[in-house]
Amino acid sequence: MKKKRFAMVFDISKCIDCKACTVACKAENNIPLVKDNYRNWITEGPLRGKYPKLGQSYIPGQCMQCANPPCEHVCPTSATYVNVDGIVLVDNKKCIGCKYCMTACPYDARYYNEKTGAVDKCTFCVQRTSVGRIPACVETCPTKVRVFGDLNDPESEVSKLLTKHPYRVEKPEIGTQPFLFYLV
Amino acid sequence: MTLKPSKGISRRKFMLLSACAAVGFGTMSIGKRFQALAASKDIIPLSDLGNRDVFTTCGMCVNKCGVIARVRNGVIEKLDPNPYFLKSRSMLCARGNAGVDSVYSPDRLKYPMIRTGQRGEGKFRRASWDEALDLVVKNLSDLAEKYGRAGTVFVSSEEFQEHFFTTFAECYGSPNTLRHPSLCLSSNIQGFGATFGTNPTPDVLNTDYIIMSGANRSEALITPDSIDMLTGSGGRRKLVYLDPRFTKTAAKADEWFPIRPGTDMAFILAMIHVIVKENLYDRKFVEEQTEGFDKLVPHIEAYSPEWAAAKCEIPAEDIRRIAREFAMAAPKAVYYQGRRSSFFDNDTQMRRAMAILNAIIGNWDKIGGMVPNSQIPLEGHEFVAPFYEDIPERLEANAATYLSEKDGSWKYFRDRVLEQKPYPVKGMMIYKQNPLVSVANREKTLKMMEQMEFICTIDITMNDTACYSDVLLPEATYLEREDPIESLGGIHPVLVWREPCIKPMYESRPNLWIMQELAKRMGDEMSASFNYTMQEYREHQVKNNPEILKALKEKGVYYEKDTPTYGQTIGKKLKTKSGKIEIFSQKYADKGLDPLPVYKHPESGPAGQYRLILGRTAYMTHGTTANNAFLFDIMSENHIWLHTSEAMKKGLKDGQMVKVKSPLTTESLRLLITEKIRPDCVYLSHGFGVLSKGQRLIFGKGGSDAALVEDFVEPISGNMAMHHTFVEVTAA
Amino acid sequence: MTTTITNSKNIIGFSVLGLGTLLGLVSVGYVLMIGHSNAYNLTRQIPWGILISTYVFFAVSCSGLCLVSSLGHVFGIKEFEAIGKRAILVAILALLTGFGVIAMELDHPFRMAIWVILSPNPLSAIWWMGTLYGLYLILLCIELYAFIKENHRLASLVGLVGFVVAISACSNLGAVFGLLEARPFWHGPYLPIFFILSALVSGCALLALIVYFNHSLRGIEMPPEYKKFMITLGKLQALLLGILLFFIIWKIIPGLYEKYPGIYEATMAALSGKLSFNFWFFEAFLGLILPFILLLNNSTRTPFGVMLAGLLTTVGVFFMRYDMVIAGQIVPMRISDGGKATGVLHYVPSVAEMGIVIGSICACLFVYVLIEKKFDLSHTGHH
Repeated sequence: MKKKRFAMVFDISKCIDCKACTVACKAENNIPLVKDNYRNWITEGPLRGKYPKLGQSYIPGQCMQCANPPCEHVCPTSATYVNVDGIVLVDNKKCIGCKYCMTACPYDARYYNEKTGAVDKCTFCVQRTSVGRIPACVETCPTKVRVFGDLNDPESEVSKLLTKHPYRVEKPEIGTQPFLFYLV
Repeated sequence: MTLKPSKGISRRKFMLLSACAAVGFGTMSIGKRFQALAASKDIIPLSDLGNRDVFTTCGMCVNKCGVIARVRNGVIEKLDPNPYFLKSRSMLCARGNAGVDSVYSPDRLKYPMIRTGQRGEGKFRRASWDEALDLVVKNLSDLAEKYGRAGTVFVSSEEFQEHFFTTFAECYGSPNTLRHPSLCLSSNIQGFGATFGTNPTPDVLNTDYIIMSGANRSEALITPDSIDMLTGSGGRRKLVYLDPRFTKTAAKADEWFPIRPGTDMAFILAMIHVIVKENLYDRKFVEEQTEGFDKLVPHIEAYSPEWAAAKCEIPAEDIRRIAREFAMAAPKAVYYQGRRSSFFDNDTQMRRAMAILNAIIGNWDKIGGMVPNSQIPLEGHEFVAPFYEDIPERLEANAATYLSEKDGSWKYFRDRVLEQKPYPVKGMMIYKQNPLVSVANREKTLKMMEQMEFICTIDITMNDTACYSDVLLPEATYLEREDPIESLGGIHPVLVWREPCIKPMYESRPNLWIMQELAKRMGDEMSASFNYTMQEYREHQVKNNPEILKALKEKGVYYEKDTPTYGQTIGKKLKTKSGKIEIFSQKYADKGLDPLPVYKHPESGPAGQYRLILGRTAYMTHGTTANNAFLFDIMSENHIWLHTSEAMKKGLKDGQMVKVKSPLTTESLRLLITEKIRPDCVYLSHGFGVLSKGQRLIFGKGGSDAALVEDFVEPISGNMAMHHTFVEVTAA
Repeated sequence: MTTTITNSKNIIGFSVLGLGTLLGLVSVGYVLMIGHSNAYNLTRQIPWGILISTYVFFAVSCSGLCLVSSLGHVFGIKEFEAIGKRAILVAILALLTGFGVIAMELDHPFRMAIWVILSPNPLSAIWWMGTLYGLYLILLCIELYAFIKENHRLASLVGLVGFVVAISACSNLGAVFGLLEARPFWHGPYLPIFFILSALVSGCALLALIVYFNHSLRGIEMPPEYKKFMITLGKLQALLLGILLFFIIWKIIPGLYEKYPGIYEATMAALSGKLSFNFWFFEAFLGLILPFILLLNNSTRTPFGVMLAGLLTTVGVFFMRYDMVIAGQIVPMRISDGGKATGVLHYVPSVAEMGIVIGSICACLFVYVLIEKKFDLSHTGHH
């Protein structure tokens, strides 16, 4: 089997900030409903213009599944690791709760989960994707902002989208090489 | 569990999988772990009782989207969208995903309860079903004897098992059923119905030009419109949006105009003016399919864009340009009528104007236009209601020009209960409606309930209305119920149903069971009308095509074709008096109403006060979901919105507590200072500021719009008009 | 009479320290009971708080003590030879206290003990931090043993190795922050270097305190060689403070110059924002300028003046660590609320966090004083 490199492409022009992804993620991954506990988010972009001419974007985000993940580098016990599909994961039992990865992540994509006793983050719903399903946030997204797929497969929708459209990634200057792409 | 070696699982992945098996990977629960390891297919067959994937229908709002409930070890773990379900475009919103909590919430009504303290005090004792049901029946019988059968009102709202409740009301003999439309869309149905004979569906998916007036589709989600609105067609799509607030729909619109509230009709009439004057209307269609265009021409003479600009504060050149663009895009252009129309007291006439504008560009029953709803027919449920003598008319009969016999009008009904005229209503049976949160002027609703001798509420949670009731009957939630087949009309008509995912928890029961048990106690004659099981009922519904049941079982949805049919009504008689689209309504003229929409300018508020406007968020369904743990996690209170410039004048700070004072009462809540609202308005979202301590998450959070808003009314349809209230905002 | 006064002084001192320690223990119990997330004011955006900065304070102080004392037994500067044993003892206590504080910060200190060995990540600065300071603790113990046994060969050998490890450990601790590209205020080679210098400052300050109080608390007149040492120490500290002052100035100027996002906001938070009182009063005035003046001036560069300067600097350094840790995290990683919340994030230590910090300081002092009382640490021989 060819190696996979999972990625997600966002068409934020479609995002209506309905938070379906956030709730789907929490329900799918049993995230304790406490402040600060979330794997994905939608932020309201800055309000553009002046009343009565206004504009605003809603920007969904989650772990960028970086190819060069600082969280992996800093973890003293290698609890954070990258799996074969390019997904950055945390091995709960090895996590010592030092939160170094939380300070190292430039995207604020991690939080400490008291229930599991480990730092938690988006796993691209590894329990789903490892059996061929798509992540819960992608499946549920009403306006289909999110596209998930394998970038190593040129026929995948994500590959095609990134070939056809210009895109950006968050904080490219840091060199994390994110695998969440935002169409522009 | 087999790990096929051919899949080439590397050491790392193997470690991941074994970690799953050993200590629970990540936050996966036992059920998910099982799913991750054992499931090679998406769907686990129904034969496995502990673990199954149940095709059912969402019940978190009225859209009824398709859901697959993942049940693992007898627990509903996750709700996923049903990919076969066309109408919702295979999605599930935040509320749909949060549905699990409606089952497992600690604040559920678990057992039948009988009030022990004062009404509203929230003190109840647990009772057996027998005791509770006997008590309800005793009260219903006593009330019938004392006040007659009309002396009990049956309050309910849209739900798959509502039919059994209204059947019970009919069998009991009360003409007084009071439903939700008079808080929502009565005037919309009236305005479009008077014009087209029906309330059509805009073909949002295929249209090129949409104008939305306050229909906030990014937040007040309607499937498939909310999704299709953004789908567009090849970049030609244009969305013009009018709203006093910069909503999330405004953020998606090509153009947003912060229109002065209540002046939409001026904008529409001016558009008609331009289209008629410049001969941009569909002449052939108007001639063949409409009635009274000749009377429209002089009628709109005065309604120029310049005139409208002064009313609605949208520049005349924009109105003119939009009218031209709209007509150019026709017939793939719609003036979207929205759903809730409980804004102003001229709403029916405003919707009439919308309908007329749609009519003259000839978008009727065309692709990308206004399409009359299709419906897949189901066999109706026939029953014989016992005959009672001397049953009067509805309590509020004749109060509105066109009062819906089944739905009634909350405003007029409540007023007459309080007046005790023409007859007293002293009993209240409530099913899945929460009037203390949903009906404007809460004080009046409280008074209405106060004078009731008996109130019984059937619901799933201790909401405000339940808290003020005498007997509480716990209903099973939508995920625990087996529900009848429901025919959802629209451009894509479908059939859906509900299958129970788990057994009803605690002592909750489906409404059919509750009605059957009540009917049994009311006597043989009534009981005979409920003499069937749910299975028999469903089989009867599809007796002409039993294949439907199989399709529903396999896919959770049944549809006859997956493409819409347009033009079915072209050349046929419409359900209006003339059989044509009635631009001029003779029906209205006969009733002494304006046969063509006449503009009425909304009143201005007292100086220093703001018009209170209401609305929705995508995380809340009316007054029913705020206490859901998942949704509370997203939104834990509502704020009063105030424009930056006004807040600056008043020296108020973002996030501070303020007092909002309306002529009715004062509510304290947090202030949100924003550029996203007209400076002469404040906004409050719905569903907070509750009275019941039984909703532990939201009790004490935010403020109640129902308490603040005055109960004005739209007199043609009897719809509540909720945007006529002005408030003061001061530091708390 | 004198004895009574000393005794009552002792009792008061011990009670204060004992109460402080008790407060720390109660806080620890409370945290263990209700869990970190409820007891600490930490968020996902500011995951490191006062416990981390206190740990840094102790760990760097430990390194500093050894670096300064190595001037005696490693580099053979005569005046510094007198204080070797005591410096090592305090260094051990400071490091153990630091470990205690960070154990309270970690959610799973025991897991750490297992997995840093079974699943090490040599790319991680925290892994190196644990390794280096762990190794360092062992070296310190050997060194103390050598001093007690008066094995000078061993002492200076271990001292030499210890010197290298101390510099590695404290500069690596700077690298824990400095390697994070996500945090522009921390990122770069500045912090590792800064940590070496500030370790020296910390070390001098603490040594001044140890030597002064060791005599005054016992009611002993300070012998001339110690007086001479205090004056030398004062001169050295004045030099170090002068350098440190410019280190700080050169942290600020680039922070303001280009308004680089993340650095500018954090610098402004220190200069005029949420951390400005800490910065101007504790860090700059108490910790730097006042001691600098005291030490430069011949009339105030007395043993008492040097002690006072040391005390002020120690307090200043404590706040310096805190400001550094918080300022690095205070700028949010992403905009939210429509860009409305343009400001910096908010963090104030919780009562439990304060309790642990106060407790840790008291416990450290308590144990030190106890050892001083029980054992004779005054230097014998080696003259």
